[in-house]
Amino acid sequence: MAGFLQKIKFDKWKGWLYLSPAIVLLLIFTVWPIFNTLRIAFLEDYNSLTAMRGVKFDFGFANFAKVLQYDGFIKCLSNTMLLCILTVPVSTILALVIAVCLNSIKFLSRFIQTIFFLPYVTNSIAIGMVFAAMFSVIGNFDSGLVDSYGIINNVIGWFGGKPIDWMGTGSGEWPNYVVMVIYIVWNALPFKILILLGGLQSVNKQYYDAAKVDGTSRFRVFTRITVPLLSPMLAYVVITGFIGGFKEYSSIVGVFGDGMGPIGDAGRLNTMVGFIYDALPQQQLGRASAAALILFGIIFIVTMINLYVSKKKTHY
Amino acid sequence: MSENKVINQTAEKTAAPAASAVTMAERDMAKVTAKQRVVKVLVQVALYTFLITMALIVLFPFYWMLISSVKSLEEYNLAIPTLFPLEFHFENYVEGFKTAQLGQLFLNTLYVGLVSTALSLVITVISAFAFARLEFKGKNALFAALLATMMIPGELFTITNYQTINNFLGLNTLGRKLGSDFLMSLGNWSNTYTVLIVPFLVSVFYIYLLKQNFMQIPNELYLAAKVDGTTDIKYLWKVMIPLAFPTIISITILKMMGAWNSYVWPRLVANDDAHKLITNGLRGADFTVDNMIHYPRQMAAVAIVSLPLFLVFLFLRKYIMKGVSRSGIKG
Amino acid sequence: MKKIVCILLLVAMIVPMCFAFTGCKKEDDGKLHIKFYHTMGENLRKVLNQYIKVFEALYPEYKIDHEQIGGYEDVRDQIATEITANKQPNIAYCYPDHVALYNLALAVKTLDGYIDSDEVITRADGTTEILGLTEEQKADFIQAYYEEGRQFGDGLMYTMPLSKSTEVLYYNKTYFDVAQKIYNSEIELDINGNPVYLTDDKGNFVLDGEGQKQTKPNPNKGNEMYNLFVPTTWDEMELICARIVAIENDRLPAATKAKADKVEEVVISETELHKIYVDKEGKKLAQVIPLGYDSESNWFITMCEQLGLPYTSAEGEHFLFNTEAHHEFVTKFREWYIKGYVTTQEIHGAYTSTLFTANTGTKSYMSIGSSAGATHQRPKKNAQDVYPFDVGIASIPQFNKENPKVISQGPSLCIFEASEEEMKASWLFVKFLCTTVEFQADFSRESGYVPVIKSVNTDPVYADFLANANGGDNVAALSVKVCLEQEEYYYTSPAFNGSAKARDEVGKLIQAVFKLSTTTADVPAEVRKLFNKAISECKYHAQ
Repeated sequence: MAGFLQKIKFDKWKGWLYLSPAIVLLLIFTVWPIFNTLRIAFLEDYNSLTAMRGVKFDFGFANFAKVLQYDGFIKCLSNTMLLCILTVPVSTILALVIAVCLNSIKFLSRFIQTIFFLPYVTNSIAIGMVFAAMFSVIGNFDSGLVDSYGIINNVIGWFGGKPIDWMGTGSGEWPNYVVMVIYIVWNALPFKILILLGGLQSVNKQYYDAAKVDGTSRFRVFTRITVPLLSPMLAYVVITGFIGGFKEYSSIVGVFGDGMGPIGDAGRLNTMVGFIYDALPQQQLGRASAAALILFGIIFIVTMINLYVSKKKTHY
Repeated sequence: MSENKVINQTAEKTAAPAASAVTMAERDMAKVTAKQRVVKVLVQVALYTFLITMALIVLFPFYWMLISSVKSLEEYNLAIPTLFPLEFHFENYVEGFKTAQLGQLFLNTLYVGLVSTALSLVITVISAFAFARLEFKGKNALFAALLATMMIPGELFTITNYQTINNFLGLNTLGRKLGSDFLMSLGNWSNTYTVLIVPFLVSVFYIYLLKQNFMQIPNELYLAAKVDGTTDIKYLWKVMIPLAFPTIISITILKMMGAWNSYVWPRLVANDDAHKLITNGLRGADFTVDNMIHYPRQMAAVAIVSLPLFLVFLFLRKYIMKGVSRSGIKG
Repeated sequence: MKKIVCILLLVAMIVPMCFAFTGCKKEDDGKLHIKFYHTMGENLRKVLNQYIKVFEALYPEYKIDHEQIGGYEDVRDQIATEITANKQPNIAYCYPDHVALYNLALAVKTLDGYIDSDEVITRADGTTEILGLTEEQKADFIQAYYEEGRQFGDGLMYTMPLSKSTEVLYYNKTYFDVAQKIYNSEIELDINGNPVYLTDDKGNFVLDGEGQKQTKPNPNKGNEMYNLFVPTTWDEMELICARIVAIENDRLPAATKAKADKVEEVVISETELHKIYVDKEGKKLAQVIPLGYDSESNWFITMCEQLGLPYTSAEGEHFLFNTEAHHEFVTKFREWYIKGYVTTQEIHGAYTSTLFTANTGTKSYMSIGSSAGATHQRPKKNAQDVYPFDVGIASIPQFNKENPKVISQGPSLCIFEASEEEMKASWLFVKFLCTTVEFQADFSRESGYVPVIKSVNTDPVYADFLANANGGDNVAALSVKVCLEQEEYYYTSPAFNGSAKARDEVGKLIQAVFKLSTTTADVPAEVRKLFNKAISECKYHAQ
């Protein structure tokens, strides 16, 4: 009997014991950082080097103010937003169309589906380098002394277009964005197709049967039945797309390298996450923390808006 | 919270059979008139044309990587690129491998991947087990708190972790004060494997995923086992792990892929040759020959780095796609 | 139950095990270990190792552990991080900006105490030295280099110079010589300076009565265009650039000239008229950019110094480079850029030495770059195993010849706060490297950097090295020689937290102003905008 009581007592803390490794690690690497980052963000000009000297920092919003008044940060912010706004709708619509098409074919469906999933199992830095190779002009674009305009420019040439300096020294800002948008969409497609296709395949077929009987047109079926029924999945891929988009960083490193921009204009395509990482080696942790909190705030607000909109529009 | 709900639904829906979409179409075929049949065929042709075109576009970067990797530099630099190599220069692979020092990088990454996956699995399994099977005070609050951390972007943690790993729990400062090299080395993690492994051992999402999976196993089994005097560990090992095996494999693969693809954190904390990971090494490698990037060698190195991922994909596609559709996280 | 506990213990043990491989624990050899971070490549490390052995023989109680940490910025970032965890090295390669950064944490030891010390130290071989620097040693340093250690605004010495470089003007000596020859020659010469012989309709040489090939009179004799000389001022540089462009236009094949849509004429003087061939898209047909300037930042800062304009200050208002005069000189050089006289590393997309040494395509005939990079300015040997041209090296052009200024760059050494004993050992090693003639000589020969002490000339091997300087195989020696001759010209800029950013920004300013569209209506307004932006960028980072 005593043993049984002991056992019950042990059961009480056994759960905590099992969870202890996870809890300890989370306390150190997740919970503490949340508090510490919050603290540092409000310590004016907190720099871990100056902190070593024992300097006391004032408490206030100075880091936020300085970061928000800094053109470099605004540039990172606008780059991030622009990439988000350009890539999320494009990749979502494209993924939806592909998923619907995939769902309407039988022969080779699995095979094609696998091909579309392939970009997912890649290293985004490595394949970014492939995209860079495809878009790069070999030689000096400005002076016209070019060995090769690169495969993409050649393809454009076949359709009668003029070569563009996509990402070289002195290339324009828009060509740079176009390269990034293409790469990011390419990279984002597989996940979205997978989710949407999964959603499509579980849609109740009765709706379609009813539509067939009514003789509803395909397009109408798509807009009136498929999209509404798919709305939870669409909401999901849009939300995750935005969250991922706001954290865009390594895909740009993949294509443009550590400089985050074409040679001669490093940082042109820098993003919020890049801004935070750049501040770390200089030990400007106060501003990095403020930037991280701003990023969190933006992601939070955008997610809330997305959820609000999708709740209104989602049909279960 | 609602995000998780969505994830959960997705998980169930993906599992639904894929083939049913077509059967209906077949049934309807009988009813349609000849004209409609023509339309149907045309639509199918259009569908295939579109899908195949898109598939080719999606595949093109891989194709370009492969053919570029065997071209000579002269051929690569031709004004009108060849779509198939004129001659094959497999030595690019040797040179690319050497230039990026992929051997060392490969071993580093493999080590980090294996150790972090193994440790992470142990922690995930026992944590999921505790949440799924044990009753204790504060369980629900704790679980909710864990899920809440998933909302916060990782960059927010990085800043403090970057400080933490240089002076873990203040051990480094303490060690220096006491003159203890051992304490100092305990506190100093930068340029070690530890720094690449430990901060990411716990993934709340994997715990959540596995917990859901464990919950589907009837509780009666556990109670029966307890009556038989089976220990928790034995039960976990004999019953739960086998039943949740597909999920565990998914987690393993995603975790390994994560190590293979990680770039940002290693770049900050492990820059020395002995600990550099493969992605960092590849991006940092200088393929310049005579002031020109030697693209074929670079592409060969990229192909080598991409190969293991493709192999894993080839053999474990099912688990990856399942895991991905549930997790929505890359690696 | 025990089993569960066992498993948990196991987990608890595995995690620390990971910690354990943190520790490449130093083997306890009873010696005082001194950690030294640098950026030396393999060859230089060999030289260093050799002299570390010498040092450790003199001081067996010390052990120097040195490590290459990537490039200068990697060293800076790593040390900055390590300072926050109290584990910085003892000695590091540094640039003044880095020291300013480390000093946010007051981590760099000032050296005045050591320099002035007359404590006598007995070495293992029984000889003695004083801890500080003797008067001879102090006097032996090239003063400008030595004084760099004091540029931190408080008059204290923070760094010791290890090896230095500057910027020099590389020019294509063969090209310049041939042009001069053409300018002076009575007979017509080809582009290699060889006589052009008279030929008949069939292409056979026309021989004179004595069987000698007949030469032609030189149409370019006295043509000012061919009067090339090494420019010593920026005005001369502009003229030489114009002449090189004109020569290259003159030498365009007739077929290319025929394709030209327009011929622009530039009147230099009554006797000098340049013709520029332009196609219908406005592109210039001659593929030449006479001058390449590698470092935009150095260019800007050096121009400030040469013109006597302010750049930055360690005290008070830091960023002073935003006046009309600054706008003016950058705008002036922009015109050069538009005329195709000059390009820079970032604008060109690679070191400008690639243009200077190019065999085909666009070529440059002058290049301003680091004196330590002389071997990169030398062209590759051709099939006959000779250099296609001879490299000439000269001081960079000046605005005011009376008060010449060239930048001083290259690594110094700083010592970090640690125990007294460690800092003393570090100082002894730093002093050893900076004042040992043999090390300075060997290091200079291997790296192409300039030694920091004058007495290296007493080293016979080094004297030999300098004596054999030429524009081919021994181009590095030639560069060092030119540097040694301009030892009075050096300047350095103040170092403070944010000075590195200022350097970056002025470099970007040059690029941005040069790249302003040629259709810009109000150039001065745009230039002002760019300068203001650069200043605000600097201020953000200096806060």
